[in-house]
Amino acid sequence: MSSEPALMSLTAVAKAIAGKQLSSHEVTRSCLHRIAQWQPKLNAFMTIEAEAALKAADAADTELAKGQNRGPLHGVPLAHKDMYYDAGHVVSCGSLIRRDFVASTTSTALQRLKDAGTIRLGSLGMAEFAYGPTGHNYHYGAVHNPWKFGHVTGGSSSGSGSAVAARLTFAALGSDTGGSIRMPAHFCGITGLKVTWGRVSRAGAMPLSQSLDTVGPLARTVEDCALLVGLMAGADPEDPTASTAPVPDYMAATSASIKGLRIGVPTSFYVDDLDADVAKILDDTIAVLKREGAVIVKVDLPDQRQLSSACQLVLATEAAAYHKRWLIERPQDYGPQVLMRLQNGLAIPGVLYLEALRWRGPALAAHVAATANVDAVLAPVAPVAAPSIAESDIGNAPDAEAVIQRLTRFTRTINYLGLPALSIPSGFTAKGLPVGMQLVGRSFDEATLLTIGAAFQRATDFHEKVPPSA
Amino acid sequence: MTRPTPKEIKAIADVAGVPVEPDVATRIAGSIGPAFEGFAPIAGTLPFDLEPASFLLAQTVKVSR
Repeated sequence: MSSEPALMSLTAVAKAIAGKQLSSHEVTRSCLHRIAQWQPKLNAFMTIEAEAALKAADAADTELAKGQNRGPLHGVPLAHKDMYYDAGHVVSCGSLIRRDFVASTTSTALQRLKDAGTIRLGSLGMAEFAYGPTGHNYHYGAVHNPWKFGHVTGGSSSGSGSAVAARLTFAALGSDTGGSIRMPAHFCGITGLKVTWGRVSRAGAMPLSQSLDTVGPLARTVEDCALLVGLMAGADPEDPTASTAPVPDYMAATSASIKGLRIGVPTSFYVDDLDADVAKILDDTIAVLKREGAVIVKVDLPDQRQLSSACQLVLATEAAAYHKRWLIERPQDYGPQVLMRLQNGLAIPGVLYLEALRWRGPALAAHVAATANVDAVLAPVAPVAAPSIAESDIGNAPDAEAVIQRLTRFTRTINYLGLPALSIPSGFTAKGLPVGMQLVGRSFDEATLLTIGAAFQRATDFHEKVPPSA
Repeated sequence: MTRPTPKEIKAIADVAGVPVEPDVATRIAGSIGPAFEGFAPIAGTLPFDLEPASFLLAQTVKVSR
């Protein structure tokens, strides 16, 4: 057991609390100690609720002493992206507009984690209204990457990526509409699971694009992600789009063998224009998976640029529709980047938007046909490691738009198809920045991704690397 | 389908009830225009009876090798 409880994985610390090797108080104090060290440099937290967290930890310890265990995460302190409604708490959505918004309900995903015994450490920073891929935030300042200050975390779940990587929280909820879980996982060297659209209820999660939004975890290990998604997934009367499909035993999936599983590597698009470090890490990842018994094959995917364009049309239109009232009444209260992105949706005719939605079925069917011979597809999350905050700052850097466009090209296609994708830490660049690979699966087959990801983590130690001290 | 002109964007935004200035319309044209061009091979080609809900059906298709 680690001498610093905050450095443990979620599953390990939960077991240690349940087994009374550690108290929730000790664990929470360890997290708060690290938060105090790192927060001034990272800006990962929106709110830090130290006193309330310690009080809740003491209550959890008292319950456990009486033999009352709430669930598999009893007494584990967590913080989440500040867009999950938590009754009685301010949920800013990273915005000025909702700076004082107090939720009257609790999101289903968050409630299910609370029911499992988690306690609240505070809330985490994010891109304004989850509409930005880097971690910039005009109102609250950029969140920094713990591997290199001054570099982006990826967004929009920027605080989640930064705080999990720096071991300030054992895991965090993020959301993924165009890559917002996978990019912070990639840039910050942690594990992130974007679930199949419909796998986890979106009730009480701030909406951005109802056709694309997904709720999911960022954590240190594949096993941690499996535990969290197993707790959150499943039907929800509050969200009719939440699937009624049975929830598999995701934890069991993490101990299965990958011998004989077929993993496809795209012949184009996802392997084009990669930075040399990323290309090498892709090759290294393939080699590890082969060594572990997977069969690697080439796959020809349908035109990904069309998918990307369709995704942009859907996302821009739906986001503009959600925000229309504030675009009319409070345009001055948006940060300039987010206002620009929202205004893009105003230009899209209704017929074109609906065509982009109508094509989704055939596009998914074409992908399924193209990948029928494999269990999952392996691809980089992005063609580059984390750029600096300055070079990706629209308005201050001349090439920022091009830098940002490059970041998101490998992720939004997967959102359009609604597929699950697991981002796993896969190596480091020569400059010491983390790089992640994504495993893309079939609809509702998160289990196979978790099997492959867990096997990769048993064979490597990238997920165990901790950023040097603040 | 080609990308919309700033003039067209200004008109559609006005109709949507969120008027934009000409310079904003020009910026929008440059920003979202590539998505119009990327989707152009699909736009106007979809079969008559294709429902958006076909996506939900495609999600449930079982695959066997």
